[in-house]
Amino acid sequence: MNKIVEKENFSEKVVKIVVEAPLIAKARKPGNFVIVRVGEKGERIPLTIAGADIAKGTITIIVQKMGVSSTKLCQLEVGEYVTDLVGPLGKPTEIHNVGTVLCCGGGVGVAPLLPIVEGYKKAGNRVITVIAARSKELLILEDEMRKHSDELIVMTDDGSYGRKGLVTEGMEEVIKREKVDECITIGPAIMMKFCSLLTKKYEIPTMASLNSIMVDGTGMCGACRVTVDGKTKFTCVDGPEFDAHKIDFDEMMSRLGGYKEEENDKMDHFQN
Amino acid sequence: MKEFNSLEDILDFAINEEQMAADFYTELAGKMKHQEMKDTFEQYALEELGHRAKLEAIKNGKKYQVSEAKVADLKIGDYLLDVDVDKSNITYQEALILAMKKEKIAFRLYNDLASTAIDESSKKLFLMLAQEEAKHKLRFEVEYDNNILTEN
Amino acid sequence: MERSEEYIKNERKQEWRVELQKLTKAKDRMAVERVEMTEMAPEERIKSQRVEVNVGLTKEEAMREATRCMDCVNPTCMEGCPVSINIPKFIKNIERGNILEAASVLKETSALPAVCGRVCPQEVQCEQRCFYVEKLNLPSVAIGHLERFAADFERESGVISVPELAESNGVKVAVIGSGPSGLSFAGDMAKLGYDVTVFEALHEIGGVLKYGIPEFRLPNAVVDVEIENLRRMGVKFITNYIVGQTASLDDLKEEGYKAFYVGSGAGLPRFMNIPGENSNGIMSSNEYLTRVNLMGADSEESDTPILRGKNVVVVGGGNTAMDSVRTAKRLGAERAIIVYRRSEEEMPARVEEVHHAKQEGIEFLTLTNPIEYIADENSRVKQIKVQKMELGEPDASGRRRPIPMEGSEYTIDATVVVVAVGVSPNPLIPNSVEGLEVSKWGTIEVVKDKMQSSIPEVFAGGDIVRGGATVILAMGDGRKAAKNMNIYLQEKYLSNKVEH
Repeated sequence: MNKIVEKENFSEKVVKIVVEAPLIAKARKPGNFVIVRVGEKGERIPLTIAGADIAKGTITIIVQKMGVSSTKLCQLEVGEYVTDLVGPLGKPTEIHNVGTVLCCGGGVGVAPLLPIVEGYKKAGNRVITVIAARSKELLILEDEMRKHSDELIVMTDDGSYGRKGLVTEGMEEVIKREKVDECITIGPAIMMKFCSLLTKKYEIPTMASLNSIMVDGTGMCGACRVTVDGKTKFTCVDGPEFDAHKIDFDEMMSRLGGYKEEENDKMDHFQN
Repeated sequence: MKEFNSLEDILDFAINEEQMAADFYTELAGKMKHQEMKDTFEQYALEELGHRAKLEAIKNGKKYQVSEAKVADLKIGDYLLDVDVDKSNITYQEALILAMKKEKIAFRLYNDLASTAIDESSKKLFLMLAQEEAKHKLRFEVEYDNNILTEN
Repeated sequence: MERSEEYIKNERKQEWRVELQKLTKAKDRMAVERVEMTEMAPEERIKSQRVEVNVGLTKEEAMREATRCMDCVNPTCMEGCPVSINIPKFIKNIERGNILEAASVLKETSALPAVCGRVCPQEVQCEQRCFYVEKLNLPSVAIGHLERFAADFERESGVISVPELAESNGVKVAVIGSGPSGLSFAGDMAKLGYDVTVFEALHEIGGVLKYGIPEFRLPNAVVDVEIENLRRMGVKFITNYIVGQTASLDDLKEEGYKAFYVGSGAGLPRFMNIPGENSNGIMSSNEYLTRVNLMGADSEESDTPILRGKNVVVVGGGNTAMDSVRTAKRLGAERAIIVYRRSEEEMPARVEEVHHAKQEGIEFLTLTNPIEYIADENSRVKQIKVQKMELGEPDASGRRRPIPMEGSEYTIDATVVVVAVGVSPNPLIPNSVEGLEVSKWGTIEVVKDKMQSSIPEVFAGGDIVRGGATVILAMGDGRKAAKNMNIYLQEKYLSNKVEH
């Protein structure tokens, strides 16, 4: 049982939760994730870590209401408890001083990108960050990102804030302007796919952090299978980050929908 | 297809093939992170060198025979997806798949050579070589069958 | 704790035992027919994942069965038991009607008697070594059924005994993984006076007993009582804690843990490496069973989804495959089919499980092997291309191996496929502990029978060492590890020389 000590509604659908987890706060590194379960009938869902405070013994997670489980988590209030929280899971991001790093986040993918941006900056890189959202209301962590980046570019689909356009447009402008040594992309699968296609064109090594379906998160179930370079990998123990140019994004997107019908049924059941 | 002028030619070719196989496994051993996997591939390399020595002995006049008994082909490797050899950290299961497929290719090569051989003695030599490769493959297949296809 | 042959012989000479021995003639004992386990009707039990198939014996049935036991001078049955239960002693207690005493005999050496009574393959262990089988060629005494009866009787009576514990020695030991191996180890160490903490990665204690074995074979409530028993013996449990991730082994050493038992299990499902295997609807038996058993996905109340299908194919022939295919039936599959590449004779699953599966209408396609999965336009599996196999000539090891028959390919319809072709050891501990020797299979290397790894304070057992074994073998490892860790710790920290 882990107590929620802080909560902020970023938008109608996106919530920031700060939860007590002293051991995870201490052990987590950029790129790690946790598994959360709400309620005795709850599902185990993987969520990325947006930050941690070792002194306070807390971690920050940012959740988007998608299905039953994420909605239940978003409905918890300060003082209430998450039933189970386990982590940190997955391999951390390999952060080195490589020169200039382009960090691209979309939607709630911006949340796990934050510790990675911090890490790259701390390692002495020039960090250019592009964050994107459908509209101004859905944009998160802008100030934090600005603080840790040498440059921040904000893109919105509808042009309600920052520049109008897709994340890739902001990226390409940077790539054309200056030498980029490494790129990392986190966000919806379709976004990562197009980021990857773009950087492949410019031959920039790129990592993508995947949000596959998982049950245990420790390698036991294999629900998170993904094809990388023609080989089957488990996102939970081999990832979550992989060489973006080698990921089979189409298969990955189809696997994300592997339980779509069943999840919709659960949602109907939950709402009625 | 390659042409051979003498039995010696055939043996030289086969000896070179075995050496290349040994080199291949040695190189793979060098790439492995896990000591156990290094050892495994070094072992495979040693076995290929053993095959080479066997062929050299034949070249030096040792008698050989094509056995009547057909070497079993479990065909396990035939249906599995290819394994990428550039990976530095392959599992033992993948190592076995790799080895099975490699031996199968060598088996096919000698079999094809046998079917196109012009004289009886080179045909016999190719068949013997094919049989050797089939035995090597069977060894890996049995290991795979015993340890991977356990179905608990 | 470790009992000598002499102890067992002396036990046999106790007055009450001698009296019982005299009470019934051998000929009369032999005349009793082996008890039949009452089962729920197949058409009833397939309606729920949580109805146990075997009902259990009545007290009368159990006492009658117990009279069959000859109370042999040399009880060979005990040699067949990986945890050396004093089999004649517990059975004779049942014969005289002292069931609670029988239950406490079980607990002398087994941390999980109600579990073992249900899932142990007794027919190839204790029962195979029974005098009836070895000398008379008759059905063995139903040791497994009796074990289950005694353990259930105690649990239902509410009068649950706690085994005798040595005085606390204050030495902290950590157990990694709360499956059968870890629990067995924890029980023995608690009896020896150690301060035992079990770390579990999942949110429930029990490992494979909870996530793997379905409730129709092993109800969770039965497992929970055994765990509660360990709690009463002072064993502490911490869930949601992944040693190697949440904290390292070194962190735990800093917290004062002096030694470790790794029982982290076979956590990595194997797939077959054939085309189309990553299509939706194809999953490991681990995933399928975990969703249902641990997460309760068979119930509408659970938030965890499960794929149901009209035709469910399970690939494999082990107990896990049987558990999966029978689960599929209970989830409403019209056809639930086992596809297995060898013949039925070679199936590693228990005969009882295969028998129960057939009663429940499971179809068996043996000597058949999947070679490709065919998906629909939404990437969901719709068909499996399979191939017929034939058994080859016996090879050097005497084994007849399946060989594909060319041109025998055909397809079967399936919208859900469960792959149960084996597991690999969980890599989390081997990868995170520097200096731990690991085999090419990824299993932890230990000194045989001592279960000590290349790091002296780290012991290991169960599937992380064996790669894939039974509950009872994993428990046997736990016992051996406890015995040897005790020697190690006594000499190192308690300056006691222990006779080896």
